[in-house]
Amino acid sequence: MPKVISVHSYRGGTGKSNLTANLATTVAQQGYRVGVVDTDLPSPGIHNIFDLEPEVMTKTLNSYLWGEADLADGAYDVGRNLNLGKGGTLFLVPSSCKADDIARILKDGYDVRLLNDGFRQLVKTLELDYLFIDTHPGLSKETFLTIAISHCLLLIVRPDKQDYQGTAVTLDVARQLNVRHVQIVINKALACLAPEVLRQKVAETYGVPVAGLFPLSEDIAKLASEGVFCVRHPEHLVTQELQAVARRIME
Amino acid sequence: MTSTGELKAFADSITAATSPFRNYLSDLHREYLSLTEGTVADYIPELALADPQWFGIAAATVDGQVFEVGHCDQPFTIQSISKAFVYGLALEDHGRDYVNSKVGVEPTGEAFNAIVLDEATNRPCNPMVNAGAIATADLIKGKDGTERLKRMLDMFGRYTGRSHDINVPVFLSEKSTGHRNRAIAYLMLNFGMVSDRIDETLDLYFQQCSILVNARDLSLMAATLANGGVNPVTGDRALDQRYVQDVVSVMLTCGMYDSSGDWAYRVGMPAKSGVGGGITAVSPGKLGLGIFSPPLDAKGNSVRGIRVCQQLSKDFGLHPFNVAPAPKDLATWLMGSADLDSW
Repeated sequence: MPKVISVHSYRGGTGKSNLTANLATTVAQQGYRVGVVDTDLPSPGIHNIFDLEPEVMTKTLNSYLWGEADLADGAYDVGRNLNLGKGGTLFLVPSSCKADDIARILKDGYDVRLLNDGFRQLVKTLELDYLFIDTHPGLSKETFLTIAISHCLLLIVRPDKQDYQGTAVTLDVARQLNVRHVQIVINKALACLAPEVLRQKVAETYGVPVAGLFPLSEDIAKLASEGVFCVRHPEHLVTQELQAVARRIME
Repeated sequence: MTSTGELKAFADSITAATSPFRNYLSDLHREYLSLTEGTVADYIPELALADPQWFGIAAATVDGQVFEVGHCDQPFTIQSISKAFVYGLALEDHGRDYVNSKVGVEPTGEAFNAIVLDEATNRPCNPMVNAGAIATADLIKGKDGTERLKRMLDMFGRYTGRSHDINVPVFLSEKSTGHRNRAIAYLMLNFGMVSDRIDETLDLYFQQCSILVNARDLSLMAATLANGGVNPVTGDRALDQRYVQDVVSVMLTCGMYDSSGDWAYRVGMPAKSGVGGGITAVSPGKLGLGIFSPPLDAKGNSVRGIRVCQQLSKDFGLHPFNVAPAPKDLATWLMGSADLDSW
């Protein structure tokens, strides 16, 4: 049975796209067929981490939403250059980063139900084991929908007050949408905070397990410009933590 | 932080969009979209404008959940589907005995536009053939044509929860080409079966066929009947509960033109079709279906609509006389469950 993992954060800049790209890659490295869809239509970006150039992206999520293509037509094999091993496969369906296309989405909107139909079709066509969904920060029609369909919802939280409040709101929504598995990932934790104390505090505050904790560090800041971190730095502590989170998702 | 009604309402609309049952409907839609049999009605030019690719499936449950796939907002003319619902209004206006004295309830193997009346009673066979529908329209109360039309439109609005208009070009075309219907009406006038406000009644009949609806509306109309006459979304009563069985039973016996017997055998859900491509089908106590797809078979029923109803009836055991366990349990598919893989 295929598994859908939505990666969400209430605010921007939490490292959502980086984490999604790295987790998807980590799962694909285990030999699975993995897809990633960038549903961040207003501010797409995850294609950069996979070194997918905009000129190559002739079909995107936008094309599907406008009835011009199947979602699978916009799936690019980004795993090919990552030496995934074990027969793993990794596809990315990007959103268009053309200003005209973004404007069209903002102006006309789209039927959010198409996302659900498209995801299901994509999973069938590409025979995916895991589908990761990168979302726009905050709450919107599409985040509601992606939360509702996820078998596992990952909420990314930075340890600050705004993120804490927003995460509580998102959890309210997730409960209302009957999401069964929610896990929190703490990102950009300051070195002065003891990791285990922080983990425990967050887990207790929300009543939700903490799947992983990533420190604020220059290494991670380089993620965005360097491609997929876990491939470049397979032995790094961050990569090990990614593997731990991936295991929890796959449980 | 606590959830407000707004959050719940929006969350419910999202869970309906992502529920296993909608996923099922979505697969059904995809499967039958490639079915290209049938032809779009073209006896008046406006109907021929319909795109054969239009295809919407809507289902509304008696607890008010609405599931939609495809072209569920595309307006089209209700055509013969109106007949079942106007029959309900006539029953409310006059009661069962009087209505029965004017229109029979016997299915006919004749075509829907046959010029046939019962030899002994001079009544048209049933309210679903044109003769019976014109006699039924004649029974709609109101001081003039405007008020009678308004009462009809208001009635449809109670079924669907929104206001309705007629498509004027379709109405005018139906009127200018409706010689056969005029002949039927005058034959009934000759036998004293309809009142002498015959032009007004014919206009009303052509107008009722030209009312604009969509697949979602049809699902809510059927769900209202399935729910004992009360719209499950708005809570408004659309039909006196005494007459729900009258309307639903003539749909079962006469609703699918002259393939009603075959329909009752294979599908079993009381239903009514129209040449605009719509089908509304009732699963009493459970749900209502509205399907829209313009290509019609030789008998005038939507080809995709029939197949969708057959499949749903089979998969969820919606035939009212079915007692064998269905391959899929409706309640589970509506509610969702951890073990259910609809992906």
